[in-house]
Formats: sequence, structure tokens, C-alpha cells
Amino acid sequence: MEYVSPEGLRLDGRRPMEMRQIRAEIGVVAKAAGSALFEMGNTKVIAAVYGPREVQNRSQQLNDSALVRCEYTMANFSTGDRMRKPKGDRRSTEISLVIRQTMEACIMTHLMPRSQIDIFVQVLQADGGTRSACINAASLALADAGIPMRDLVTSCSAGYLNSTPLLDLNYIEDSAGGADVTLGILPKLDKVTLLQMDAKLSVETFENVMQLAIEGCKAVATYIREVLLENTKQLEYRRGI
Amino acid sequence: MLQNKSFVKRTRGGKITKVVREHYLRHDIYCGAPICKVCDTSQARLSPTPSTILIFDTNVVLNQIDLLENPAIDDVVVLSIVLEEVKNRNLSVYNRVRALCSNSLRKFFVFSNEHHKDTYVTEMSGESKNDRNDRAIRVAAQWYQSHLAGSARILLITNDKENKRKAIEEGISAETVESYVRSLSRPDLLDLLVQPASEDVNMEEVEDLRPSKRKIIYTEHKPMSEITSGLHRGIYHQGKLRVNRYNPFEAYVGSESIGDEIIIYGRTNMNRAFDGDIVAVELLPQDQWHEEKSLALADEEDEEEDVHLVPGSADDAPWTTAQPPGSAGVTESISSRPSGRVVGIIKRNWHSYCGSLEPMAMPAGSGGVAHALFASKDRRIPKIRIHTRQLENLLDKRIVVAVDSWDRLSRYPSGHYVRTIGQIGDRDTETEVVLIENDINTRPFSSQVLACLPPLPWSVSSEDLANSIRQDLRQLRVFSVDPPGCKDIDDALQCTSLPNGNYEVGVHIADVTNFVHSDTPLDDEASQRGTSVYLVERRIDMLPKPLTEDVCSLRADVERLAFSVIWEMTPEAEIISTRYTKSVIKSCAALSYIEAQARMDDSRLMDPLTTDLRNMNALAKIMRERRIQRGALTLASAEVKFQIDTETHDPLDIGMYQIREANQMVEEFMLAANVSVAEKILKHFPLCSLLRRHPTPTREMLEPLLRTAAAVGLNLDVSSSKALADSLDSAVADDPYFNKLIRILATRCMTQAVYFSSGDLSPPEYLHYGLAAPLYTHFTSPIRRYADVIVHRLLAASLGIQKLPAIFQDGTRLTSIADNLNYRHRNAQMASRASVELHTLIFFRKRPTDTEARIVRIRSNGFFVFVPKYGIEGPVYLTPRGDKEGGEWFVDEQQQKIRKMDGSMSYSVLQTVFIHLEIVEPQPNRPKLQLTLV
Amino acid sequence: MQCHHRHQHSLLSFIRPLSASSLLEMVGLSIGEKHFIQGGIAQDLRSDGRKRLTIRPIYVETGVISQANGSARVRMGATDVIACVKAELGRPNALQPDKGKVVVNVDCSPTAAPMFEGRGGEELSAELSVALQRCLLGGKSGSGAGIDLSSLVVVEGKICWDLYIDGLVVSSDGNLLDALGAAIKAALSNTGIPKVNVAAGASGDEQPEVDVSDEEFLQFDTSRVPVIVTLTKVGRHYIVDATSEEESQMCLAVSISINRQGHICGLTKRGGAGLDPSIILDMISVAKTVSEQLINTLDSHIAAAEAGEEES
Repeated sequence: MEYVSPEGLRLDGRRPMEMRQIRAEIGVVAKAAGSALFEMGNTKVIAAVYGPREVQNRSQQLNDSALVRCEYTMANFSTGDRMRKPKGDRRSTEISLVIRQTMEACIMTHLMPRSQIDIFVQVLQADGGTRSACINAASLALADAGIPMRDLVTSCSAGYLNSTPLLDLNYIEDSAGGADVTLGILPKLDKVTLLQMDAKLSVETFENVMQLAIEGCKAVATYIREVLLENTKQLEYRRGI
Repeated sequence: MLQNKSFVKRTRGGKITKVVREHYLRHDIYCGAPICKVCDTSQARLSPTPSTILIFDTNVVLNQIDLLENPAIDDVVVLSIVLEEVKNRNLSVYNRVRALCSNSLRKFFVFSNEHHKDTYVTEMSGESKNDRNDRAIRVAAQWYQSHLAGSARILLITNDKENKRKAIEEGISAETVESYVRSLSRPDLLDLLVQPASEDVNMEEVEDLRPSKRKIIYTEHKPMSEITSGLHRGIYHQGKLRVNRYNPFEAYVGSESIGDEIIIYGRTNMNRAFDGDIVAVELLPQDQWHEEKSLALADEEDEEEDVHLVPGSADDAPWTTAQPPGSAGVTESISSRPSGRVVGIIKRNWHSYCGSLEPMAMPAGSGGVAHALFASKDRRIPKIRIHTRQLENLLDKRIVVAVDSWDRLSRYPSGHYVRTIGQIGDRDTETEVVLIENDINTRPFSSQVLACLPPLPWSVSSEDLANSIRQDLRQLRVFSVDPPGCKDIDDALQCTSLPNGNYEVGVHIADVTNFVHSDTPLDDEASQRGTSVYLVERRIDMLPKPLTEDVCSLRADVERLAFSVIWEMTPEAEIISTRYTKSVIKSCAALSYIEAQARMDDSRLMDPLTTDLRNMNALAKIMRERRIQRGALTLASAEVKFQIDTETHDPLDIGMYQIREANQMVEEFMLAANVSVAEKILKHFPLCSLLRRHPTPTREMLEPLLRTAAAVGLNLDVSSSKALADSLDSAVADDPYFNKLIRILATRCMTQAVYFSSGDLSPPEYLHYGLAAPLYTHFTSPIRRYADVIVHRLLAASLGIQKLPAIFQDGTRLTSIADNLNYRHRNAQMASRASVELHTLIFFRKRPTDTEARIVRIRSNGFFVFVPKYGIEGPVYLTPRGDKEGGEWFVDEQQQKIRKMDGSMSYSVLQTVFIHLEIVEPQPNRPKLQLTLV
Repeated sequence: MQCHHRHQHSLLSFIRPLSASSLLEMVGLSIGEKHFIQGGIAQDLRSDGRKRLTIRPIYVETGVISQANGSARVRMGATDVIACVKAELGRPNALQPDKGKVVVNVDCSPTAAPMFEGRGGEELSAELSVALQRCLLGGKSGSGAGIDLSSLVVVEGKICWDLYIDGLVVSSDGNLLDALGAAIKAALSNTGIPKVNVAAGASGDEQPEVDVSDEEFLQFDTSRVPVIVTLTKVGRHYIVDATSEEESQMCLAVSISINRQGHICGLTKRGGAGLDPSIILDMISVAKTVSEQLINTLDSHIAAAEAGEEES
């Protein structure tokens, strides 16, 4: 199947190096400390942050740093075929773990000992790249909650089909059987915090694909920064400054 | 980079899912015309000053692809919506259009109208998908018109009346294909046009007026939805249709739902299906299941029987009506096999066929357009009706015709003329027909392929010598023995006496993989071609000539690179050790078989080279004897050799190929090398080695042989290959040809040897029946066989010299490579034989001859004879053709005799008769070789 | 769990009371705040300035989930819910061969409250699902349902549409049932079911072949779909559209589902306190008034949302 036409267009009309349209909104869940809605193309994700607050389960309390917990859930209707069991299946558990580890790396947990920070991510619509969207949404939500972080974490996926590296795969390109690399970086510090790949790639190709993903992450970071800046301006305005 | 979302709903396997896809619209899609001032013209493909720019709609592209490929049609904008629709409907036409678009000589530009922000159209409510696509085409045409603002005329070509009307209303010029082609005033293009199906209905004029023909009306094909539900429920079965090459009214569908193959008998039951189509079959009620008709041949139309070469294996055998490879063979008794009829075609396998027009008593037709029937050379294809304006011109030519449609009311399918190859009977034309039929690529190697060759003139360099993997064997006395005039020498031999009384025997093979690396255009081309094809007067190479005749060829007195297999052998030909290495050799002599034989026979010669030859010969004889003890079969194939006149290239003489001791000697060592290499690569790569196997023939396959042998009082033991070999050896009679004939009959019952990947089968199945070897592969001819190139790579990897290319890890790719090699090998063989038959025909053209022949098979109206002098076989009729009943003759099955009713004369199998060979032309331009009793 | 009785026109109801404690944990209020809320309600002035029977402004968005057949998002204050309708082909119930099937399922996302993580929200989800199912679908025999189930059948006895209505609570600030009811109504009016052509010639009890067309579809008739109005009793008065703080102070709540014609389609009472029967009748009439207003607002919002969507 032709995923990249000879004219250089993918199935949805993008060129191989182009990302889907991104949209972000802050403060969707009023009750949470911080929340964000993040859309990458047709993938829609809501993240809500509760905390820092008292640890619910005393036995898990850490005396010198905050406890970060994360849960990833997909809505029943998020995928094409209706899912029967939105919580507790293995993929959700794995992604929860991944998001937790990624965010833990960037939150300055030592500043908030004996407390708990809960990150909840809810997928409303899934169309490829859910992992990346979740991480981006969580970053935004943490920023909205005012939790001290070393840097934002941004994430993007890239793949390799028809001998072309492609940026930001959607569901069809993801299920095509080619390689799928998900990358999360700290843009200012230029460090990689998340790297996952499935299928196989030769080492030279992998380098190209990873480079492309890094470019994508940097573009997302720029956008997120703009959104946060805009949001802060709004807050200032409402405060009457 | 604007974007928009579009919605698509689809059903999938019974469940309804709504599928939503994004659809981005872009600013940066350009029009492709170099004259445009607005767009970026770096990718422009249209000509600088186009007079008219054409836009075709989908149906025109699908139906008139042959017209589009004609260079007269140029400056075409292909819309992406049209491409997509074509891809969904017909993949082969899509590939052809893509080839046209990427061909830099043709001015076809692909315009992605679906993603251009101005030309994207959303579906309006109530609009069908086709209407929406038509509207998209019109919008794109209009955009082009306004965009290029008069610098060129935009013309929309469509045969759809609605579309044309709307286009003209919207201000776009539109024409039908026919009117456009007419306006070009090129009558030859009009022939390429395909008439829409409705015009074909009045075809009574062309019907055969022979009284025995009834009008055949076919049953409607069932619609696809019914077929899928029928397949689910198990009332229909799906499979690929294979038409019997020698009886086109019989076909087989291999179906997995029934373990067996389903026979389709008769044109009505085949219901317009072609060989190679994927069809849906319904079983007939059990009482109608067809029983084998072993003796009579096809009776619906008088199919002609041609004189042809003796078949080399069961796959070629023309005798029995049921010999599809892999299935159980024919039994004389009434074992009915499931019969069925075709109810629908799931996937058509139509392409172009070559052949010629049937001579017609009175060409029917009107107004300059004549209808004619085209008969393909491939007998599996039914006759095709075409119409043409050049009837007289084409009657004596070989032409290529493509099929368009087959209406159920029409006896024959309809097609159109594509191109002329040349005069019938002309040797080059007929050779080209043979090549086309057997899918042999004769195009010259492309520049990318030639770029992979090493710089010429090439010679062994110091780097090659310094390379540690390569052993320097230039000091060894190495020589080669090949047919006379052979330029592509791929093997050389060595036989050195060792001080301890043993011999060091070496087989050095041209190191082709040193020059042909994987994943290069050269390798891809060779992999596609699969093998070199040997026609009578020319050879079509798998690799470019500089490689085959110079760089790789182990010519005498030059240093060359080789891949060597070296054994230490005792004088009793016991192998003590084997080693494999890449090497540099310098052959001291390139002998022909005759020369080598002469040297060995001449007792006066005592020079080192001759001594080596004699030693080798002695070893070879011992090895051969051992092989025969183990059960190897020596079969006689009647290889025919032509002596060609160097100037006219016409055959001067024809005779049987002589096998001498020298031939057998070389063959023996090649076999040994192949076996040794097979063992080595299998040891290292048990799952991805390319080997060669020869399946054991089943009892049913050997039936014809046993029957004939019994008729002459010979008892053959076919329990194992050794038993068969021994029986054949003891089958001697006074008649010198007797043994040879029996061996020829035995050869026909054999299956073909095939390549396979070791990972696909289990070790007991690796057996090569004919050589009685548990393992075998091809290693010794990399210049002319691609399988050997693959084995070279495997061997190099097993020695640790080179890394195994990635493709070996992909089991399915390996299997498909093996299948392609088998396909190419078979085609090359058939092409060779067809070429020989062609030259036979040319040889006998002016030379009617009387000669001796032996009866090999009895038929109801005559018998088949084999002419040993020329190695051909053909039918001799005792009753005139067309007289289906035996007439005055009847057949005694038991004794394999044909007897006259009044008992005065009889002929039995293997009897000698005298026949007269002559070329006759019962129909103009249809020369045939005829055998008659003297 | 199947101990619920179906209610059509009866008054008293008997449901397992909602565990008020779980709601209480969400909101921690001091005694002063509690007095403030109760006092305010007594004086017809709630914390956010509303009167007792005023509902919060509603925002409706349709077509938020493009992959579904129909979807809607409703915001009432800080309560944010999404409802989504998906249609699949299936076999009808043997007892009711001429009707399609509808299944309502609600899920509480942990984004709404940390206690919903893992299996914490299951109780609440189950309760909401059942309540909604009852209100929309009527009795066991299927009569009186808000949605006309016989319009969902394709081939009687063999093929019918199964509608899966999924609700998701994204953010919770009280009055979940009303919001979900409104969201479901909006989602249903946004739903398009593709038209199905049945292949002729199917015989016996085999599954006939169906061909689903991309284009045509049926829109749902949602005029009979009811809305839900919850009256929460705090102290001696009842309020409509309680926030979660107010809900933590309630002694009981009655949710009434009323359709456009003013018919009652379902009734649920929650909370441990007892109720004088006459007050219930009173509550119902109040609910009717409020519901008219709610239905009108809702309809106009839905129409606006649909129109807005078609333009874009």
C-alpha cells in the first residue's frame, strides 16, 4: 500500500516532515489544580492534575520527595470499535507507568516532600500518537497547576514507511507495520526522557527517524510555550494588571 | 498549510465502523506547466508550449490505456482522484499509468487535486460518490483553465454523456475519445480505440456459419455479494482457474475447501473465465461428474495437433488430459473427480496476447471496419474478436491483442489490437512471439544496471591478490571443457596428483558475486530475469555481456577470480576432505568436448594436460558408477541440435545431440560440487538455503510407462529410483533404439525439478529423485542462473567471508524468489523448445523427407510417432481428420495396438514405420509440419 | 442490583440510597460554610447568586467526537460531561424481535476527581448508568421509551441497530444526572444512523447480507427524549441544579425525568431522609415548570450548535 505518493503526499495530504495540526486549551477542568486539553490532529486528550496534596495512602508516603501517581484511561468511544474495558488493561497500565516516569523526571519532587501529585489523563479520541498527546497534555496541566518543573516535556512520534521517514503518524500509518518511534525530550535542556520503538529499523535509518522526531518535539515545545504565555496574559488581564 | 476534515464511513467484516480521516488542503501544489508564471516550475512536466492540455476521466483511462501509451498522446494532466479510482478498480492499469507518469520522455503530469485548496470539493448531500468525483474532475479542469488563462487550451476527454454536457455548460471544452482521436487525423490510432460494450451486441454477422456450431449463451455471472455469501456458506468454492494447455476445453480449479481439484469441462461451464482468473465455482450434482476421457481429444472444435518436440518431463507431456502439477495423475478407470461450473469471476487476469488473425472466408463488417477473430498462440486462450481497419494488412502478421470484455451473449470475448510484431513465419517475428509468450525480458540493460559494472577493460588487480580471503591458485593447471564456441565459461577443472597417491580435484566456478552485489540494480535485474535463455540462434543473457563473456568468464590464459571447491580424493574417488575458498586462477586451456575426448582417446599424447584429463575421467567413471548404484536415473532426452548457416542463420542440418565421455566427466564433477556445496550451506543455514529437489513421481504418473512396457512384454519395477534404473538398464532388445525409447517414455513421467527454500519443507522432502541425492542445489553456473548467485552468497556467508544479505531473513521473500526462479526456468525451457520447433519448421520448409519412425502412443484415429533422427514427435492419422469415429480402425487397449476392422493391418506401440515429413499450408499463412505414412 | 422497580406514573419510589458519604469526601466544608450555604438557600440566595430554581447557564457543543455517530458536550457551570452515541449492527432480543437495543453506560473519569481513579468511580458510574437507562428506555416491555426502539430495527428478528450511549464525566461540580441527561439528548439529536440496504433473497434463518451505504442516514427524532431535573432538598427548601458543595448538604434529592409533553418518564429518589407524600407532588409540579424552561433552553442551544456545526 502506498503511504507516501510519488508526488510526496501522505494519505491525508501532509508531506513527510509535517506534523498534524495541534491545538491546546488550558483550564478545562475547573476543579482540578491544573488541567489541559491537547489535540494532535484527531487525537484528543484531557489531562488533569490534582496536588500537591496529602498522601492518601500513608504507607506510600516518601519523606523527602513528592509521590507522583498517574492514571491513563481511554473513553469507551475513543477508538473506532467500542472498547469494552476502558481501565485496567495492560496497555493502559503500561502507558500510565510511562507517563509517570517521564513526568517524574521533570517535576522537582524534592521541593514537595510528603505530598502527592496525581496526574490523570483521559483519552477522548484516539487516532495515533496518543502517548505523545498524553505527555504534552500532562506537561501543560502541570504548568497550569503551578507545579515546579525543570523543563517542559514534549513528545512526538515518527515512523518509517515506503522508505521515507514520516513525522507524527496517524492511526492508519501506525498500523501499517512500519517502525514507530515515540520520543520525549526536555527541549531547553536538550535531553531525552522517553524513547520507545517497535518493529525493526536499520541503525542508519533509526538515526534519521529519531532526528526527525526531535525536530517534531521542538516544534511542539514552541507551541506549548506560546499557549502558556497567552494563558498567562489572560490571567493577568483578568486580574486587572 | 490549511486543513479540513472529511468523513468516510466504511463497513468492515460485518461490523459498521465510522472512519474519520483528516484531509489537509495545501497551498503548495503546483500546476506543472513550465509557462505558468505563478507556480514553482521546478517539477513541471508539461511541454513548454502545449497546444492542448488533456484531462482524462477515469473510465477513459481504464478502458483506453493502450491508446494512452501511444506516443501521440501527450501533454496530459492526470488528476489524483482519477489515479485513485483507477487504482481501486484495476491495479495493472494503475501501474501502467504510473509508469507513463514517471517516464521522463512522456509529458504526463500528476496533479494532486484532492489536496489543493482550490480544487477540493466536498460531497453534497444526495450526491453519489461517482457524481462527486466527476464534479471534482470538472472543477480541476476549470481551475486549470483559469489558472493558465488562455496560454493553452484545456480539453476534458470523457465518454460519459452527462459529464460532457455539464462540462460544456460550465464552460470547459469537452470531447469524447473518438472525436478527439479523429481530430488528430491518425487512422492508426483509431484501431487502438476500444468500443464501448453496447456496440458489440450486433455481432451475428461475425458468427461462425458452420452448421455444427450452436449459439452459445453463457449464464450470468453472479453478483459479488452473492458470491461472498456463497463462499461463506460453502456452496461456492474459490480458486485459480488453470486451463489444460493441450485441451482448452478442460480446466481445473484448485480449491482448498475441497481437498481435490475441481474439473470444469466445456466452454459453457467455463462461463467466460480465462486461464489465471480467480473464479467462484459451484459443484455440479454428483451424477454429472465428468469421467476421464482418455483417448479422444477435444471435440468441440477441431483443435489442431502440431508436431512438437519430445517432452522432457510430465509437466510438458501432451498425452493425458489431466496432468496438472502436483495432483494425482490420470487413471484409466472411472474415478470421477468433482466437476463444477464457474458462477462468477472474482478477479480477472486479462493481459495482452500474441497470435494472428484467423483467415476468414468473407470478412464481415461495415464501412471499412472489419471484424476478425484473433487466435492466440497460447492455446489456453479462446479466440478474441477484434475489429480493425487494416484487415488485409494484418492477415499475415503476428499481432498483439488485449482483451476488453466478454458479453454473455457473445461466443467470443472482445478485444482490441495493440501492435504488430511482424510477418508470420518470419524467423525473427516468431522468435519474438516465443519470447513474449514466455515473459522473457529482452530489453537491453538500462544505464543504471550498466553503471554497476566494474570499469572496463578489467583485469585482476593487486588488491584482489592481496585480499586474504582469496587464495592464489594461478600456478595450478586448470582447464575448462565446454561446448564448441562457448564464450561464457563458468567452470574450470583441476586434477593434481598428490605425493601420497591421492588426487587434489578442484572445481573452480566464476566468482560472479564479486561483481554482482545484492540490492544493486544489476542484482535486481538478474533476479527478475532468473536465468539466461538459450534460443537456437541467440542467447538472452541474465547479466550484461561484459560480465558474461569477459570479466567473469574463465577464459584461457587470463587471470580470473573464482570460487573453488577442492577435494582430496583417493584413486577410488573416495572423498577424504573438502575445502571451499575464493581464489585467483589462470586457465591454461579452454577445450571443447570433442577436443577433450580426442585428447583422451589419442594414446600417443602424454602431456600433463592429457594425463590430468584421463585421471579425471577415470575418477568420474567411478563416481558415476557409484551414483547409478545408488539409484540415479539416466534418462534420455532427445536433445536436438541445429547446424546454423552463419550468414542467413537458417538451419542447415538437424540432428540428435551426441553425448560423449567428456560430457559425462564434466557433468559428474559439477554434480559432485553441487552436492558438496548443498551440504555445506544447509549445515550453516538450515532454514534459508536455496536447494533443488526433484519430487518422486507417483504411481499414477508412471502408469502410461507401465502400460506401454507391459504391452511389449517388459516388466518395470518402479518401487524406487534404483529399481527403476535397474529395470531400465535391463530393458534391452534387438532393436538398438528400444532402450532409448523406453527411457524417453520414462522421462515423460517425471516431474520437474524445482528450487525451494529449505525452511519451507522438511528434510525428507529435499530428495532429488533423479540424481538419487538427499540434497542438491545449483552452484556451478552463476553466469547463466540466478539461483547459483544466491548459493554463492550463502556459501560465502557460511565461510564467514561475507555477510548474508538481509533478504535471507525474510522467509516469504525467499519463497517468492524461489517461485520466480522456477517460473523463469520453466519459461526459458519452453522458449528454448519453441525456438527449436520453429527452426524445425523452417528446416523442413523446402525439404520434404522420408524417414524411419517409432510408434510411441496409440490413439483412436491414429498414433503418435517419434522420429529418432530428428528428435521430434507428432501425430499420424489413419482416418481423415474430422472423422471422429475410428472408422475402420479400432483400438486394443490391452495390447496397445490399433487394428483394422477387417484384420488386415495393425500397428502396435514401439513398432517401426516409415513416414513422410513435409511442410503443408492447409490455410494460408499457417505452415504446419505433417507426418504421413508411406 | 436488579432490585429497582420501574416507575412510570407512580409516585413513591424506593431505591438504594446514594452513599452520601462518598460525595462528602470530595468536598471538605467547615461548619461556618455549611451554615452559610443552608442559610443562603433558606433566603433564596445561593452562593453563586442564583435563586433556588434557577439553573446555571448551559453550554452545548455537538459533534465533538467525530468518530462516533453522534456526540455532545454539555457544560453547566463547572460540571462538564460528554455523551457519545455509537451504532452497531446486531441481533435483536428474541423476546422483542421488532425492536432495536439501546445500552446506556456512564464512566467517571478520574480527571473529575481523584477518588474516581482505579475502581473508585464504579459505584457512582453504575448508579448514573442505571438511572439514565431507566429514564430513557422505559419499562421492561419497552413501552413508553423516550427513544422509539422500533425505528432501530432493520430486518425483523434478524438484524437491528444496537445503540451504545456512553457518557463520560470530565469534571464534576454537582448535578451530574441533569447534565448527562441533557448531553444524551443533544447527542441523540446529533446522531446519524447510516441507511442499510438489505440484500434480497435471503432465506430461512440465515443472516441476510446487508449493505451499509455511506451517505444516506436517518436522523433521530428526539422530540420524545426526556430531560432530567433534580430537586435537591437542603434544609427545608429545595433547589434545582445543585453544586457539589450544596449537594454535600442535602438530605434528599429527587430526580424526575420529564419530556416535552409534560409526561413523567422516570423518577428517582436519593438520600436517607423521609418525605411527606404531598411534598412529592409539589416537587413534581415545580420540576415540570423548570423542565419546560430547561427543554426550551436546551433545544435552542442544540439547534444553534447543530447549525453552527453545519456551517463549519
